[in-house]
Amino acid sequence: MPLSPPVFVATAVALLACVAPAQRAAADHWSWRPLVRPAPPATGSVDDATPLDAFVAARLPAGVRPAPAADRATLLRRASLDLTGLPPTLAELDAAESDPSPDWFARAVDRLLASPGYAERWASWWLDLARYADTQGYEKDNRRTIWRYRDFVIDAFDRDLPFDEFTIWQLAGDLLPDATPEQRLATAFHRNTMTNTEGGTDDEEFRVAAVVDRVNTTLEVWMATTIGCAQCHDHKYDPITQREYYELFAFFDQTADADRDDDAPTIETPTPEQSAQLAAIDTELARLRARLAAPPTDAERREFAAALRERAEQLAAADLQLGAWQHAGPFPAASFRAALAAAAVAETAPAAAQWSDQADWTDGRIWNVFPEPNAAHYLRRRLTVAADCEVELLFGSDDALRVWLDGERVHDNPTSRGAALDQDRVAVHLTAGEHELLVKIVNGGGPGGFAFRVGDGGVDAALLAAARGVLAGDGAAERARLDDAWRDTAPTTAPLRDAIAALDAEHARLAIPRTPVMVELPADRRRTTRIHRRGSFLDQGDVVSPGVPALFHDWRPEWPRDRLGLARWLVDPRNPLTARVLANRLWEQLFGTGLVATTEEFGTQGEPPSHPELLDWLASELVANGWSIKRTLRTIVLSHTWRQDSALRTDVDDPHDRLLARGPARRLEAETLRDQALAVAGLLSPKRYGPSVMPPQPDGVWSVVYSGDRWITSAGEDRHRRGVYTFWRRTSPHPAMVAFDAPSREFCVLRRGATNTPLQALVAWNDPEFVEAAQALARRVLRDGGATDDERVDFAVRTVTARHPSPAESARLQALLAEERRAAAADPDAARELAASFAGPLPGDLDLTDAAAWTVACNVLLCLDEVIRRR
Amino acid sequence: MNPLWHSLRDVTRRTFLRDSGLGLGGLALGDLMRAGATGTPDRVPHHRPRARSVIYLHMAGSPSPLDTFDPKPKLRELDGQPCPEELFKTERFAFIKGVPRLLGAPHGFAQHGQSGMWVTELMPHTATIVDELCMVRSMYTDQFNHAPAQLLLQTGSPRLGRPSMGAWVDYGLGSPNRDLPAFVVLISGGKVPSAGRSAWGAGFLPSVHQGVQLRSAGEPVLYLGDPPGMDRAQRRRTVDAMRDLDELRLAEHGDPETAARIAQYELAYRMQTSVPDVCDIDREPQRVLDAYGATPGGASFANNCLLARRLVESGVRFVQLYDWGWDLHGTGPNDDLMTQFPKKCRETDRPVAALIKDLKARGLLDDTLVVWGGEFGRTPMNEKRNGSTFLGRDHHPHCFTVWLAGGGTRAGHVHGATDEIGYHITSDPVHVHDLQATVLYLLGLDHERLTYRFQGRDYRLTDVHGRVVEALLA
Repeated sequence: MPLSPPVFVATAVALLACVAPAQRAAADHWSWRPLVRPAPPATGSVDDATPLDAFVAARLPAGVRPAPAADRATLLRRASLDLTGLPPTLAELDAAESDPSPDWFARAVDRLLASPGYAERWASWWLDLARYADTQGYEKDNRRTIWRYRDFVIDAFDRDLPFDEFTIWQLAGDLLPDATPEQRLATAFHRNTMTNTEGGTDDEEFRVAAVVDRVNTTLEVWMATTIGCAQCHDHKYDPITQREYYELFAFFDQTADADRDDDAPTIETPTPEQSAQLAAIDTELARLRARLAAPPTDAERREFAAALRERAEQLAAADLQLGAWQHAGPFPAASFRAALAAAAVAETAPAAAQWSDQADWTDGRIWNVFPEPNAAHYLRRRLTVAADCEVELLFGSDDALRVWLDGERVHDNPTSRGAALDQDRVAVHLTAGEHELLVKIVNGGGPGGFAFRVGDGGVDAALLAAARGVLAGDGAAERARLDDAWRDTAPTTAPLRDAIAALDAEHARLAIPRTPVMVELPADRRRTTRIHRRGSFLDQGDVVSPGVPALFHDWRPEWPRDRLGLARWLVDPRNPLTARVLANRLWEQLFGTGLVATTEEFGTQGEPPSHPELLDWLASELVANGWSIKRTLRTIVLSHTWRQDSALRTDVDDPHDRLLARGPARRLEAETLRDQALAVAGLLSPKRYGPSVMPPQPDGVWSVVYSGDRWITSAGEDRHRRGVYTFWRRTSPHPAMVAFDAPSREFCVLRRGATNTPLQALVAWNDPEFVEAAQALARRVLRDGGATDDERVDFAVRTVTARHPSPAESARLQALLAEERRAAAADPDAARELAASFAGPLPGDLDLTDAAAWTVACNVLLCLDEVIRRR
Repeated sequence: MNPLWHSLRDVTRRTFLRDSGLGLGGLALGDLMRAGATGTPDRVPHHRPRARSVIYLHMAGSPSPLDTFDPKPKLRELDGQPCPEELFKTERFAFIKGVPRLLGAPHGFAQHGQSGMWVTELMPHTATIVDELCMVRSMYTDQFNHAPAQLLLQTGSPRLGRPSMGAWVDYGLGSPNRDLPAFVVLISGGKVPSAGRSAWGAGFLPSVHQGVQLRSAGEPVLYLGDPPGMDRAQRRRTVDAMRDLDELRLAEHGDPETAARIAQYELAYRMQTSVPDVCDIDREPQRVLDAYGATPGGASFANNCLLARRLVESGVRFVQLYDWGWDLHGTGPNDDLMTQFPKKCRETDRPVAALIKDLKARGLLDDTLVVWGGEFGRTPMNEKRNGSTFLGRDHHPHCFTVWLAGGGTRAGHVHGATDEIGYHITSDPVHVHDLQATVLYLLGLDHERLTYRFQGRDYRLTDVHGRVVEALLA
């Protein structure tokens, strides 16, 4: 049904009329004003005040002083979880609490920032923005190999790659002069868009959807500017016009990817270990190729030419004649395998079957004429030769192919593929006389068919002429042609070729992951970008060229009008947004709420900052510190503001702590919750990098249309890796992570929720991974926690909360332990299940009653609000 | 003790969230329900509701209207003729190539009931309830592939990321039952719908509004069962211990989030019992099981229909069923009109009719809206993909049939019409957004006022479209 045109036109005209004033008014908006470093106000509110604290103190109501700093244990847990996503160990707590130095906390922070956990925790944060996942999304949601990008992000945080470079590499690393493999790998950032492999979809529609996602994600991540409206029309609230939207679109419209099922283009992205192995192979290959490049001696050349001439003459003498194809079929069966196995015609003596002539099935092209799923077809024809000869028969097939010659099976390839010319080469020896060729094709589904032709024996007309020329002694011009063939086919060069093939095979055996990356189209294949009217890629309007919205800072003439120029524009010192937006995001990660609460929206529809000068100061510091994220985080966590006690205050009416008059409390992220449980239980694997892993998840969670893909629980330490390594399927992320607000990562996620639901309780209570953690923690408590319940309760509470229990807490836990010991003693079978169902048989040195009671107690401890949140 | 603690005992989760400025606005009561605040009334709707609950029977893959409820004698007459060129030359099909041929319905139709509604002979039980149905033959959509079309139908947008209808309803109305999720999803046919979990996702709404899939095999809710070796008394003791320890800390720092978690743990404990109870269809008398064709312990559409009634009876607001297997292209015996279509009809006909009769007998049909339908229509032409000899139809967005029953809809009414071969609508078109507006209207919600602010603009289920179809209302 058509839209009602008059209404639409009228609305569009009305909207257009509003645009110009909106743009002018917008230029005054706080977030678009130039970034000027403000001087911190003078203040003497607390002894340990930093410049950051001065900005906060300046906005506190008269008479309100900052809250005191939290105690050391709380601070160390807060810093450990915020900076590394892991809780402090007891040894780290002991060290912090006994450190006599006044800068004990700065030293602890420096240790945390330098630890491997730092990079993994902050990579998790960035991967939400990058919408990183291990599958392609949409209906089929097939797997995608892109974990090397995840490892790049971890590495980048590990060495604190300056954010401006981090930006340029990810958006346009491939366009940098002499781009390194790592810079090209970084561009997988924008290949995290979804790929639609559903049958019948238009690849161009979903290529455009991916480009739209790149435009929106870029503006949202770096400039907290949501411009989705302008994709379809100009908007009166939105200072960016539709034309400007498509000018941004034009930057991203020139890459080679096109919603292909295989995510092409991809490049080999070896791990560091593979790079070393690869270098050795490549050195050897270069040596062998150089040797092969050397020309043959005159004798070798003449010998080769003579052999060629003889083979050609033999083939000509044989005078191979082909009869017309005859066909029988289809012969359907219950399955592909059954159709392949069943001899629907007598395969060794086929004359008895019903055959029909198919004279029009000519050689040298593809005949997709066997559409029936799980069905076999037979083809036969007569071959006649006048003399003995060697012949190569070339086949293509969709899918499986079997070949008989005179009743003897000479080829068998039970493959599944689309038909193409010359997929399989079958060399046969024919004696003078008549022969019968029988071919079986089995189609598993979709189109099905075959292709056939006879090979030329490696001697085409040009090569034969070259051989004759050389033998006649006047073939200087033809030598090169002949020498190439000598290298490719002569028996003399076979050992070199075999050695090269063996090295190629060794290269293939390395199974180097291929990662989808950005590849710019060559000049002669560039697309013309047009405005998509009403956001429809089928309704194209004016041609546009790459450009940035007039609202923002100017383009520098020396920048190329491509993604590299755009990346430089984003991190240009005159762009006030990138630094403000990043500083705000880091703040949000540490405080739970940004200085601008709408981290995703700095435009006129977002909220203004609670502390505008502080935000600008922090953003200026970020740039002045060489875009170092580590240094910025350090500045924040060393402030008194971040170190304040988080208890609610009766003297300040500020339920959401927008005044920052107390310390931040927030619920931990999905990954951190699981990592923490594994860490305190002593189960967490320190292994880093590599393909994503599959920790246990309930059966049946992955039941997906079309895909028979299965969740295969990882073995060994891979069960207990950090959450950043958990396999992320877009249509079905790990359910325990989903319960704690992990997103699907179908699109860039700018801010995760921090909900509080009963489903979370069920995960923390009953998820086998959390139960296993309780069982393992119980064993730790019994082994390392001392001899008495008092000591053990202290050990356990301190392990999970970083602090010692109060007498009331200790008494409550000991009462629970007493009850649970009674229950365990009364039902030893149940006790055994409780203590050992997931963590494995109870070691002989541990008492069953104790282990069961402590498992229950640890299950309680791991579910405490104090553990699920951090204060 | 923190002096705030005393006043906090009175702070409900409700006032906390209302004041929290989390962008929930004034409407977000759904999660307050789940927060276990006692005695919190339902959200006041925009106008007097006609329906209290929804059961949405989504036939994923999309059954052909031409073979179910919209008979076309002319199409049968023209069976095997080439399709007129003006109908397909500007069309983009998912699979059809070349000049397609028309395909008349291979199965018979008859009229039934006072209303004289037409029903395929393959749905004899549905034929007995036609006078309860409001048949919309003039539905249309913008999408011709499954995942985008299902998303458009369920979330108002063909792309991922928007909240689903059930999530919007939960957000707008909350749930009368505090021991069960407000929005429940039931799957049959062996596969989830093409659009995946996003079809019942919360999009940008708070995640508490997303549909909770009750699984037909294993635990009905993930992680519902206590760990091996733990009995209910023991779980009770742990919940008591968690509460006591959390309250000790709450007294120190006074954070209302902690009070909320204590309440959520209580609700989780109750759900551990209430969910298996409501899912236990074995408690139904044999005659009810027989009427639906339900078999306890198995996974079937019939079981899900019966479970849907039990959920609605328990106060669940929105029950979404997906039945996979209706995508009948005719590429083989497993997706054709001669074998697979009768099989799908057999699987669903009896339970659907039993559901309507059961709801009516219990007085639940008046305020329960039942919706049946796929995500788009099917072509009047035989698809004949790669020369297939099986009969089947390609995707067709221009017209399809959906029926409504109960919940204030006009019983025994046929709305809209299509042309004589079922290619285009000839009267009273109803867009997917119009259906959504009408469903919300019946629940007492104004689709233009049920909004949520996200990324700088107010979003709603119907995007910037949709109108309530008055003619469908009783």
